[in-house]
Amino acid sequence: MDSSHSAPSAAHAPGGGHATVQTYIRVAVVLGLLTAIEIAALYVPGIPSHALVALLLVFSVLKFGLVVAFFMHLRYDNKILTVLFVGPLIMAMAIILAIMALFGAYILLARG
Amino acid sequence: MAAEHAAVAHDPNIGCTGLDHRKMGMWAFLGSECMFFGSLIGTYLAYKGKSINGPGPHEILNIPLTSLSAFVLLMSSLLMVLALAAVQRDDMKWGKIWLFMTALFGAGFVGFQCYEFTHFVHLGLTLQTNLFGSTFFVLTGFHGAHVTGGVIWLLSLWVLALRGRLGAQDSLKVEICGLYWHFVDIVWIAIFTLIYLIP
Repeated sequence: MDSSHSAPSAAHAPGGGHATVQTYIRVAVVLGLLTAIEIAALYVPGIPSHALVALLLVFSVLKFGLVVAFFMHLRYDNKILTVLFVGPLIMAMAIILAIMALFGAYILLARG
Repeated sequence: MAAEHAAVAHDPNIGCTGLDHRKMGMWAFLGSECMFFGSLIGTYLAYKGKSINGPGPHEILNIPLTSLSAFVLLMSSLLMVLALAAVQRDDMKWGKIWLFMTALFGAGFVGFQCYEFTHFVHLGLTLQTNLFGSTFFVLTGFHGAHVTGGVIWLLSLWVLALRGRLGAQDSLKVEICGLYWHFVDIVWIAIFTLIYLIP
C-alpha cells in the first residue's frame, strides 16, 4: 500500500474504492473457488475429521479476510477503521472461545 | 497537510481524523455487531451436540441447498461493489442495475431461508424442540433479519437512483450500505462453516 492511501483526505473519505473492477471480479472468483473446495471436501472420503475441520476454518478465515480487505476496502482505507473493526472482532472471538470453554465444547480437540 | 485541513474544514461530516463521521459510525456499529453475533455463535457452539432429543443437525440440514444460498449471498457482495464502482464514476444506468441485482440476490437468500425454516418446522424442529432448534433459529433468524434490513436499504437506494436523487456526490451513502451488506455476508461465511459444514 502506498503512502497516499493511508493519508486521510477529503477525496479519500467518501470513496475508498481503490480496487479496480477487475480486482473485484478476481476476488469473487477466488471466493467461489474456496467455497467450492470447502463443499467438495465434505464429500471426499478418508479425510481425518480434525484435518477437515482445520481446512474449513482456514478457508473460512481466508474468505472473511478477502471480503473485508477488498470488498469493504479495509486494505486501502485509513488504519483507524481497521482498529475500529478488528478490536471488537478479536473480543468477539474471545467471547466465542470463552463460552465454549465454559461449556466444555470443543470442535478441534477431543473432549477429555 | 494544512491545505487538506482547510479544504475539509467546512464539511461538518469530516472530523479531525480526516474521516467521514458516518463511515466511522458504520464501522463502530459493525464492531458492535461482531460482539452480538459472536455471542450467538458461541452459544450455538457451546450447546452443539447437547440436545437430548432430535432432530439434530445431521438429520435435518440440507448442505447442497444451503451451499447454493451461501453462493448467492457471496455473489451479491460482488454485485454490491460493482454498484458502488458504477455510482462513484456517475454511471447511474449500471449503478441502478447493480443495486437492484444486489437486492434481488439478497431477497433470494431470504427466500431460501424462509423455505428452510418452513421445511424444518414441518420436520418437527422448532424453537422449543431442543437446544439445537433454539440456538439454530435464533442465530440464523437474526442473520436473516439483518439481510432483510439490508435488502430494504438497497431498495431504498435504488428508488432514490430511479428518481434521479442518487449520483456520484452521494457515493458515500452507497458505500456505507455496502459496508453493512458485506458484513452480513462475512457473518454468513462464519455461520455457514460453523453450523453447516463442520461435522
